[in-house]
Amino acid sequence: MVKIAIYPPNSLILADLLERKGHTPLVLQKQIRQKIKDPEIDSPPMNITEEDPIKGLKYAAIEVPSGVRGRMAIIGPLIDEAEAAIVVDGAPYGFGCIGCARTNELSIFLLRNKDIPVLELTYPTNQDETYAMVNEINEFVDSLEETDKEEE
Amino acid sequence: MSQNLTMSPDLGTEDWDPDVITRMIFIGPGAHVSEQEVVSEFHMLGLPLTIKNTCYGSMISGKSEDVYKAIEEIRKLDPNHIFTKERGFAPGDPRRCRGHRFGPREGFHQMEKEYRILGFVSNALENPKEVEIEEKKPVDVDEFKKIMNECLENKE
Repeated sequence: MVKIAIYPPNSLILADLLERKGHTPLVLQKQIRQKIKDPEIDSPPMNITEEDPIKGLKYAAIEVPSGVRGRMAIIGPLIDEAEAAIVVDGAPYGFGCIGCARTNELSIFLLRNKDIPVLELTYPTNQDETYAMVNEINEFVDSLEETDKEEE
Repeated sequence: MSQNLTMSPDLGTEDWDPDVITRMIFIGPGAHVSEQEVVSEFHMLGLPLTIKNTCYGSMISGKSEDVYKAIEEIRKLDPNHIFTKERGFAPGDPRRCRGHRFGPREGFHQMEKEYRILGFVSNALENPKEVEIEEKKPVDVDEFKKIMNECLENKE
């Protein structure tokens, strides 16, 4: 079982395809759940505490806007945990849950620089492209399984 | 909008339990089951779950062990058309529930977008096949020139 970061981090299709293969998709909803179950915070979306931009300093410099650092405090731990990543590019406007283009760029940059296998795909628009996307994801996941077995 | 942002909901013990998770179940286009069948099947499992019928399928909430068990069983109904996804907030949470807000909840728009290609994903899972995609290339300059000249000549 490999922990795979997905981008957008709340994608239904990516998360589902990985779960079908028995892997763990690192989805943002789990992080959000942790946050909202914290008894100290009772009012999301105003749930960025003063602690978050400080935590975000691990991923972004002090000059970076606090909005990016606050978001990175939630997404960052997922990137740290990732053993592989699937990034979907060219998605329609409004796709994804981050709501910040710079955070998106920084997260993808960190995933690419992490020295883990990364599969980059383009958002499909028709049947053939979707077939190709599903095939590529399945091949990628199978190759991860093989390397996992070899390491064992 | 201010009441949405400052709402301090009165949550029950289950809402604070870190082991209680929520999952959304989507029924893709062309599925052989209906939302009602999925919900009935969840009830028939006899697990301690909160089950909600929705327009896209259903939503279940409960202890993670029960939720994963229920999902495993429900996928058997139509493995290629039933998709599931985590959800951070519990069903009916006033901070996200549409009933307490003025418009679709966050996350709905992406769900809408992904639903458009969900049918293709189901087809790909049902009948896997190799496809070759022809990459779109820009028109060659010489060819463009030729076509342009032809058009100009025809015009004269």
